[in-house]
Amino acid sequence: MQHSDRYFTKIVDDTRQFFRSPGLVAVTTTAAILIFLFIVFPIGSVLQKSLTVSYPTVSIHYRHNIATPGDLEKKLIQPVMAVLSSVPGLVKSNVVRKDPQTVLILLRFEKFWDDLKGLNDAKRAIRPIQATIEPLIEEVKYKLSKERIYSTETYKDFFANSYYWHSLRNSIILAVVSTTIITVIAFCLAYVGLRGPRGARGPLRMIGLLPLVAPPFIFSLSLILLGGRSGIITKLFDLDFNLYGWPGVIIAQVITFLPLGYLMIENILRSLGTNMEDAATDMGATDYDILFKITIPLSFPGILKAALLVFLLSIADFGNPMLISGNVHFLATDAYLYWVGENNLEMAAVFCVFLIVPSMLMFIIHEFILKGKSYTTIGGKPQQGEERSIPSKILYPMLAVVIPVSMVIIACFGMIFLGAFTKILMINNAFTLEHFNSPNGIRALITSLKFALGAACIAPLFGVTLSYILIRKRIPFKRVLEFLSLLGFAVPGTVMGVGYILAFNTPPIKLTGTFLIMIINEAFRNLSVSLEAGSSKLHQIDVAIEEAAFDMGASAMKTFFKIVLPLISSALLAGFIYTFMVGMIAVSAVIFLISPGNDLAALYILAVAEQGMLGMACAISIMLIAVVLLCLGALKLVARYTRTEVY
Amino acid sequence: MADHERSTVLEIQNLTKRFGRMTAVDNVSFLLENGKLMTFVGPSGCGKTTLLRMISGLTEPTEGQIVLDGEDITFLRANARDTAMVFQNYALFPHMTVSQNIGFGLQIRKKPKDEVKSEVERLLELVQLQGLGDRKTQQLSGGQQQRVALARALSLHPKILLLDEPLSNLDANLRVMMREEIRKLQEQLHLSIIFVTHDQEEAMSISDILVVMNNGIVKQIGSPTEIYERPIDEFVANFVGYINFFAGTVYSLSGDEMIFRTEHGDLAIQQPPMQVSPGDRLKAVIRPESIGIARPGHQTDAGKNVIEGCVVSNMYIGAIIRYTIAVGDQMVYSLNSLPWIFLPKLCLLL
Repeated sequence: MQHSDRYFTKIVDDTRQFFRSPGLVAVTTTAAILIFLFIVFPIGSVLQKSLTVSYPTVSIHYRHNIATPGDLEKKLIQPVMAVLSSVPGLVKSNVVRKDPQTVLILLRFEKFWDDLKGLNDAKRAIRPIQATIEPLIEEVKYKLSKERIYSTETYKDFFANSYYWHSLRNSIILAVVSTTIITVIAFCLAYVGLRGPRGARGPLRMIGLLPLVAPPFIFSLSLILLGGRSGIITKLFDLDFNLYGWPGVIIAQVITFLPLGYLMIENILRSLGTNMEDAATDMGATDYDILFKITIPLSFPGILKAALLVFLLSIADFGNPMLISGNVHFLATDAYLYWVGENNLEMAAVFCVFLIVPSMLMFIIHEFILKGKSYTTIGGKPQQGEERSIPSKILYPMLAVVIPVSMVIIACFGMIFLGAFTKILMINNAFTLEHFNSPNGIRALITSLKFALGAACIAPLFGVTLSYILIRKRIPFKRVLEFLSLLGFAVPGTVMGVGYILAFNTPPIKLTGTFLIMIINEAFRNLSVSLEAGSSKLHQIDVAIEEAAFDMGASAMKTFFKIVLPLISSALLAGFIYTFMVGMIAVSAVIFLISPGNDLAALYILAVAEQGMLGMACAISIMLIAVVLLCLGALKLVARYTRTEVY
Repeated sequence: MADHERSTVLEIQNLTKRFGRMTAVDNVSFLLENGKLMTFVGPSGCGKTTLLRMISGLTEPTEGQIVLDGEDITFLRANARDTAMVFQNYALFPHMTVSQNIGFGLQIRKKPKDEVKSEVERLLELVQLQGLGDRKTQQLSGGQQQRVALARALSLHPKILLLDEPLSNLDANLRVMMREEIRKLQEQLHLSIIFVTHDQEEAMSISDILVVMNNGIVKQIGSPTEIYERPIDEFVANFVGYINFFAGTVYSLSGDEMIFRTEHGDLAIQQPPMQVSPGDRLKAVIRPESIGIARPGHQTDAGKNVIEGCVVSNMYIGAIIRYTIAVGDQMVYSLNSLPWIFLPKLCLLL
């Protein structure tokens, strides 16, 4: 009771203070409106869509010259309704008398009935009585439309048919399996990479991070080249087995999302320090004891966090299932297929809802339960203790995990090069450069560059500004705003793609089909990284520095632009680099939003690969990676020149 | 200007700040005269920094009024106030040079470039940092950073300069040097300063007026001499360095003197600042340096106020010796620079 009371006074206090500075009110309101419009509204639209069912309808307007209502009923309406009742697919019909001269008959058809067919059926049914009603009417008009009603019918459909809910089951199984494998491999890789034989550390680190620069489905591509129906291994050993389906998707996902897990776990192990392990050794613990009773439990909260993020990415993954899932179905890709292939918007929306639920669950656990829970700070800063080397009985099992994985990663990259420079791999192995001669591919690359740069300009500016408001200012409902701004990242790209179409397809804000909607979508989906970068930087800066500027007479705006912004420029740059890199390889949300002439490189690669033109897909992938690396190099130079630190 | 000059630069009336249920500053009122150095002193968490921040405008008061030079500034925001603050960690802008830091306020006010430049030069000279204007602030020592912060605050000729524990990050020698310099600057420029510190010695040595605070309440306001000679209560006494307390009753009053009866004997002492009458139960405090020591049987100077005790331990503190003496079951401390040393376990007269 006391607690809630205090919370209430705090909100009142915050609100009072907040409204005293008009500039802050303006900026915060703008931010809130943007977040609502470009994050909450699309997600809401998906939820709404999933709860609606739309029926095809036909309406028939009769303009008549019958004087008495009784006559009208008997001579026109009754006969018409009688014959209409025989129309196939009709669910409901009702009569509306608009004015003395007009009668409107509304026909609602079954959910998936073609409305044109309904119209023709209705016309055909009326034809026999046409002669008898003709003298009574002046004019007949037929109109086609749709009627939308709220209903949970689509959800019922979803659970009634196994081909729907199997996608959900498969997606969850995939995410659990991938996450488990990635966590184990990432731990081994990080452990050996940090403490293993010196010569192996550098290469292992590189291998761990290598997949980061590649488009997210490139490993599916190389796995198809390696173990597809006519892959190198399949052909060489004349195997009856190929990687399409579960094995392919799992391996591809493991490689794709390994860098993230690796980076996070390596960071944890590094900050763990060695003094606690030294202490355990000193007390007589064996090497196994130390690993399983000290190291792993201490890093467990961090490992769990990494696992949750990997889970989020795995369940939202679009490219890998698209290319290599064979006839196993997954949520993210099926949502796309129902949307584009069957135009079944409601079912696509329901799929999206089932994508949202686990993601939100993980996100909430991550943000609210695990946040701040970490043992790594107990030891303080990374201690400069004597380095611990791994005893061989732990090293060898770990190497048994790490070495094969490394080989697969290297083989995958090798396959991309082989595929790009041969005519058709394993069928005609002649060297060629023709795959690189793809005007469409190069055009798509240029579009991708514009797209990524556009998003990378919006996201950091908005994200970092937002982080400043959230951390430094007293604003009411701060937590809510923060949570909503992070939603764009937590919700899978497929959902944001579908949501944007649903939200911005009709006036007042009609954006579909434009290049802008793609950029806005990408920027708001990646807002949270810039937000986090800004927050962590702001936490390092003493508030007194801003207070000093304010005290010296600078306005709040001046303080922000002259003091805060220069000090957190590194966060801006970090946000820029991240958004740019992710933008260059974006697939999942933008695939819903692309319009003719605005094809993106990653999507083009996906399309080309799906058509079986693997050589060209490899070639464009290589060009894409080269462009990303070139841009990163250029940015590093800029950063060095302007002495901005990048982390 | 001269006819506008007021003797009171700052007036604080019933100022209160509550954070939720916690009262950080409770109904504080005082006046600050022009050209004086006032110190807020008290243990950490006593509300002195909150009080200072309310004067600067960085914290908004819950109740009360702040009048600066005749103008009510209670709800004026910090950037519109004629106050300047020096922060505990200096809060120098790390992306600017020393000169840019000092010139920031002038630049914000859109002063012409050459005017800013000459003013910055003048300030650099004032704080003895000539030639360091182009350095980055991180390249300076703690003391130098302190000077930059001071120069930056002085650049706007504030009506009042606020210093929030400005010396706490410096090492002991530098601290003494800097505080003397601040005092010199204050006298030279006739500045009105409020200085926040938790160090009583610093407060006593630097200020014209002390405001002793505890738990958000002002305990006593007065000159260092007043506070030291006539502490209002046990807390203030303790805080300004009294550690010897004797409980007892007032026996008689005559003129300035009062006979105070303790369980160890009668003491003839000065009348306290508050109204007392015979029979009142009080605590008397005696500064350790006011307690002399003599061997039993020796003639003491005054011949009165003599109590017997036993030396428990002695300890050199620089040139003087600190004795711990047991009087009955009570420990009494004495600071002495006696030509001979009393060894522990020697019974003494005080």
